Order: sequence, then structure tokens, then C-alpha cells
Amino acid sequence: MLTAEENEVLCRVGPGTPMGTVLRRYWTPAFQLGDLPAPDCPPVRVTILGENFVAFRDTAGRLGFLDELCCHRGASLALGRVEDCGIRCLYHGWKYAVDGTIMETPNLATPTFRERVKHGAYPVREAGGLAWVYLGPPGTEPPFPAFAWSAADPDELLVTEMIMDCNWMQVLEGSIDSSHVGVLHLDTLATMGAGPRSVGSFDFAGEPWDLDMPVPGRGGQGGQGQGPPARRPGVWPSDDNAPRIEVENTPFGFHYAAIRDVTGEPDRKFVRVTAFVMPYTAFIGGAPGAVIVVPRDDYTCSSIGVFPVPKGAGAARRAGAGTDPAVWGPEPGNRRIRLPRQDREAMAAGQSFAGFRGGNRIQDAAVQLSSGPMYDRAKEHLVPADLAIIRLRRLLADSVRLLEAGRDPVGRGEGCDFARITAASQIIDASQAWQDLVPAHQGSAS
Amino acid sequence: MLWLSVVVDEACTQVWEAWRSGASVTSLRVSPAVYTAVAAARPAETARDYPLMLLGLPLVADAEVATYAPVVMRKDVRKDARKETSC
Repeated sequence: MLTAEENEVLCRVGPGTPMGTVLRRYWTPAFQLGDLPAPDCPPVRVTILGENFVAFRDTAGRLGFLDELCCHRGASLALGRVEDCGIRCLYHGWKYAVDGTIMETPNLATPTFRERVKHGAYPVREAGGLAWVYLGPPGTEPPFPAFAWSAADPDELLVTEMIMDCNWMQVLEGSIDSSHVGVLHLDTLATMGAGPRSVGSFDFAGEPWDLDMPVPGRGGQGGQGQGPPARRPGVWPSDDNAPRIEVENTPFGFHYAAIRDVTGEPDRKFVRVTAFVMPYTAFIGGAPGAVIVVPRDDYTCSSIGVFPVPKGAGAARRAGAGTDPAVWGPEPGNRRIRLPRQDREAMAAGQSFAGFRGGNRIQDAAVQLSSGPMYDRAKEHLVPADLAIIRLRRLLADSVRLLEAGRDPVGRGEGCDFARITAASQIIDASQAWQDLVPAHQGSAS
Repeated sequence: MLWLSVVVDEACTQVWEAWRSGASVTSLRVSPAVYTAVAAARPAETARDYPLMLLGLPLVADAEVATYAPVVMRKDVRKDARKETSC
């Protein structure tokens, strides 16, 4: 639990807020590179951390990320013309380069102003199908988080984005919460072929219900269903819904293991290792990519998935993803999620546990949105199985305190090889250390 | 400002350490400031005379406990079921 005051500190991200100041000390994914596919293409308006920006790709292919409003009279540059290595405001024709240089001021003939003043512009990096920006003070950038997939060809990555109308912490906490997997995601496990399972006194037959669900091994994230799966009991080899949690801090944040008994094998354990890279990114055991949660403002966030896929599959899966009108909203690209109808009939009949079609991310979104626009954590009753969530909040709180004391926040990754950060999901001998599964993290505890 | 996130993290870490060593945990001793903050955050529970609990443990105010050093009380179930110690 948190006090109401502390909850506000962790949740609010606008300029000048404690958490907003912390988050501006990390590289932040701002938008999908696919939104600016070619030089001089239309610009995009981007809202992150409670501020509005305009992003554009100039004639030379360089990305610009500028304060949205023209510094003359405040018209939106998102309406502007992208031409001849800059973006021009429609209102009075002021023109800006990607680095914020004021190139032209047609209604001010003398050059003094444009020679002395620059428009707000921020460093941008292209990696992993995303544009990453740094919004902190110049000269304070941390090492860039160059993950293993950062340099992948766009056709080898599936980048998905769900815009969710709730505070970012609800989604971020869900992304690192392991103990809900064997409960909320029972329908996913059934589609994967896990077979019968129990939640408390409820016995779930585990027959696949949502055959179009995208799950690993059946077309992957964003793929289409391929008919009923074969029963594969080993896909989730544990009936243990109360995993033991072990957490270690690392230079990038923390990693933790959720350790479960293996059904019928007392000398072995089922380990899922999740790595959390401050302050947005989770590498989740059992998933090949990462989930990145970025606040747009205090009540809206983007949950971005980056998943490596076989070469050539990225474009095809993008074309099929996020287009179900029952789930995805009316925005360009259909990115704002709205909950599909919960199938109470299937739940009552024991065919479905959660009643939501669409896979893990839809099931997650349903419960995360259900807490309201900004969940009040004063009312919650945490249990020890929530240790990863508890540690996440601790690191964020520590970061606020450190920054207020004039020091760097935690987990900025100095000395860290981001490309070797990974997750794991594996059965190992009971005597083996789970840290063996993520050797690049070893020795990194701080 | 009181950072309950720090208090809860310290306490939760102690709970897992106790469990790993084969002990059970019985209560959580916190500073009066922490106790007061938890009580203030849960007026509905205190109004009903429910016990204040954190991490599933009864909360005990203890003036000897520092704000950011909560103490999980444990019982070593392997050696002596009657013996209760702090972590």
C-alpha cells in the first residue's frame, strides 16, 4: 500500500512533478517509427509525460522531436508543412530544423532573434521500431538502452501499441506481476494446450475456447489461430499459484524469479525470470520480446510490445494486428483499446475463465482498466507474492528521493550491456540457482 | 514525506527471508508514524474495528522501531515452535 500522497507522487508524470522529473532522466519511447515512414512525410503529434510534441522526418531522413507549439504565436506544428529540411508553421511561416534551429521568420526580417534563440528540441534515437527521446536537461543523458532487438530489421520485429485510458502505473505493475499468470490467463494456457487447472476450489477443464487467440507457438504474438492445439501439459508445468519470489537489484533496475513447484517432480522447479529495466521496460519470462509502458499523461498510457519474429513476418502480422473493431478504438491505427464484451455465458458454462477473447494483453487490459483512471493504492492489501511490484515502487521512490538530493536516479544502466538483458522460463533442478538462466545479469546486483 | 514503499519493501524482503529459512512470520512491528499512516489510509477498516494488517501480518506500533526499519516477527517452526524472534 501507499499513502495517498505517495500514490500521487508515483502516478503523476507532468513537467515539474517528482515522477515526471525522474522519468525525464531516462530515454523514453515516444512513437512508432512506422508513423514517420519516409522523408518529408506528414508529421505526428505526440503526447508523452503530459507534454505535447511534434515529430517529423526531414528531407534528409533525420528525425525531429520538437515542442508542439510554434514559439511565435503558438499554433500547432503538427499542422505544419514538412519541406526542405524543416517544418514550417502554417500560421506565419516560421520554419524549424530538427535540432530546433529557427531557420526562417518571414514576418521578422532581422536575424537577431533566430540567431540567439532555438525552439525546444530533444535528442531522438531510432531503435527497435521505436523513436526514443530524451527530455531531461542537456548533458544528463544516460547510456542508451540498446537491447538485443534494437538494431533488428523492421521486418524482423512486431511492434504493437495499445493506448489505455488509465494511469501508467496500473499497466506497468501488471507487466511484472507473475502470480496472476496461472489465474487471469487460464484461457491462454488452455489455448496453448496446458490442460485442466484449478484456481482455489474452481476446477477449470482447460479446453481451448478462444481458438483465434495469438499465443506463442501458434502463430506468435499478433498471429492468427491455427485450429485446436494438441494437449501439451508441459506448457505450464505447475499447479502452484503461489510462487516463491526472489528479487535482486541490478544496474538496470531489478530482476526476479517466480519459482513454482513442478507437478509430479519434487526435485525440480519451474522458474520464470523477469527483468525490469528502469523505468518502463519488462522482459517477461516465456515471452520473446519486451513490454514497454509509457505514460502519455496522468490518465493515459501506451503499452508497447516489441517482439522479434521470423524475417518477413513483421509486416504481415502488423497488417493483421489491432484491427478487430470490437476491441480497438477509432484512432488512426486503431490503437486505443476498448474492452470487448465479456462472455458470461462461456464463463458460466466453464468454457472460459475470464471471458475475454484476444489473449493475454486483452485480459491484462481488462483488469488494469477496471481499477479506474488512477488507482488509489491506500486501499490495497499487498501480499508477499507482490514483491516485484513492491520493489518497483521502491526503486521509483528511491529515484525521486535521489534526484531531489541532487543525485542520479537508480537503474540508468551505467556499465550495463543492455543487449544481454533477457528473461527466462524453464524447469531446472531444485538445487540450481535461477540466476544461472540469466548469466549476463550475474554480478550486477547493486 | 513518509515513503511507505520503502517500509513495505523492507518488510516484504524480511518475510521471504524468514520463509526461506523455514520460519513462519507472526506480526509486523512498525514505527508509530507508519502505524498512524496506515490507519489514516484505511478509515473504513479502523471504523469497523478490523485489525490493521500489512502483507497479511498484524501491524504493531513500536516506538523502538525506526521508520524505515520495520521488524517482521518470526517463529522458527523447525526448531522451537514456541520461540518468537525478530528477523
